[in-house]
Amino acid sequence: MIQFDQVSKRYPGSDQILKNVSFSIDAGEFVYVTGHSGAGKSTLLKLIAATELPTSGTVLIANQNVSKLKPSAIPFLRRRFGLIFQDHKLLYDRNCFENVILPLRINGVSEQEAAKRVRAALDKVGLLNKEKVMPITLSGGEQQRLAIARAVVSRPAILLADEPTGNLDASYAADIMAIFQAFNQVGVTVIMSTHDALGVSTNQRVLHLNHGELTEIPATHSTLNVNTTPTEIFSS
Amino acid sequence: MSTWLNHHLQAIKLVLSRMRNNLLSTFMICLVVAIAMCLPSLFYLGVDNLSKLTDHMKSETEISLFLKLDATSADIAEIDTTLAKNTAISQYHLVTKDEAWQQLQAKSKDNQNISSAIEQLGKNPLPDAFFIQAKSTDPETLETLKNTLQSIPGVEHAVLNADWAKRLATLLSIGKKLIFFITILLAAVLLVIIGNTIRMQILSQKDEIQVSYLIGATNSFIRMPFLYAGVLYGLLGGLLSVLMIAGIIQTFNYSVMEISKLYGSDFSLNLLNIELYLTTIGLAVSIGWVGSYFAVTRAISAIKIS
Repeated sequence: MIQFDQVSKRYPGSDQILKNVSFSIDAGEFVYVTGHSGAGKSTLLKLIAATELPTSGTVLIANQNVSKLKPSAIPFLRRRFGLIFQDHKLLYDRNCFENVILPLRINGVSEQEAAKRVRAALDKVGLLNKEKVMPITLSGGEQQRLAIARAVVSRPAILLADEPTGNLDASYAADIMAIFQAFNQVGVTVIMSTHDALGVSTNQRVLHLNHGELTEIPATHSTLNVNTTPTEIFSS
Repeated sequence: MSTWLNHHLQAIKLVLSRMRNNLLSTFMICLVVAIAMCLPSLFYLGVDNLSKLTDHMKSETEISLFLKLDATSADIAEIDTTLAKNTAISQYHLVTKDEAWQQLQAKSKDNQNISSAIEQLGKNPLPDAFFIQAKSTDPETLETLKNTLQSIPGVEHAVLNADWAKRLATLLSIGKKLIFFITILLAAVLLVIIGNTIRMQILSQKDEIQVSYLIGATNSFIRMPFLYAGVLYGLLGGLLSVLMIAGIIQTFNYSVMEISKLYGSDFSLNLLNIELYLTTIGLAVSIGWVGSYFAVTRAISAIKIS
């Protein structure tokens, strides 16, 4: 589904952020991208979401070479993804409902259908009763959950989350992780970056970046414990 | 298809709600558009009506050929044959001095002053005259014809009645050119004003635009509400301008009709000038569209890069 082949990225006037990164991610996987800050995690996610193009190498998304896509085709590629940002990128001039409906408006979904889907998405993240509330009045964890609702409302096949728990305390972070795992269980591919190595459960695949170089830590199923709740993982 | 329709409906709804939230500033922009559109339209109305008046007069252009007072009937017959041979003349008729004298007396019967003046004259002071209708209405040709007729022996004086109409027509053609330039200048001003307004709106929506791009919005999706805003400013401004023009014509007509009555004319400005109204609105809408298109294209590329 997602394939990186010898991908390098260098911003003008900066060092190489990613060096010859190669990996592939299949549909339905849950993949962590870890590494110190500045290791290139965000850049990696931006390359997947086609908000950045590689300096060299090829990025294939659903067998399409991102570098060779026409600029007019990129928006349609992006609609395959649900994007979640560390700083939420919510719109504070409108209420929760209006924030979540934005991707559906972009997809041209009719108002009635959109309203149904927005409520379903808000319900999934536990914010159904905050539909008319302005996002600024929500707590950090609630804002991030709202951002997740916006990312999943258009039912994307892939969720890309850039340090979604970075600014949250442990219990909020655990809530968020639980939500991601729930989506992964119904078949959504989840790719999440985190600088917090503690937050990574050992039974999941990890792409570890160190100064732009990739070392993959394969999933070790030995410690798989279905009953482990995310809260326990985080507090351990 | 339904996606496309939904996008347009959403954009219109969004624009209308934004306008409702900023009623005063929306009204101000529409007012600016209306006034800017109103000025050239009024100029045009003035010049157009004047030139219609002169067109009407031009069709009546005739050359009056006054003969010498001592012209005999033989002289008249001779001039008659000369005129009949001239191919530039479409028709002509003779008014003898006696006929003219009778006409003058008949016409001045109602007016005490003139009739008493005529009585004091005693004898007929009028010459025999030919009234000639030329085939061409072209001022140059008329001028040459007048000179030819002037040189016929026995002719005292040839008068081309269109002289002042010609001067007015020249002035009006200058007026038309002026309107053209005023329209272009005002259109440029409107482009800048609407473009700037739209640019400010885009900047205030910068966050929304950036997020929208990240979650897969196309350029046309981002552009659409701003284009509709530009078009709506043009449309509302154009409609307001039509109302203003109609109001001005109406009040103007009251005074014009009073003057016209004094001159025994029924001249008034046409209130229902559909063509002018449609042109005004159409022009305002296109200016709105073009202004916002340029603004949005420029601003979007700036937002995308940052």
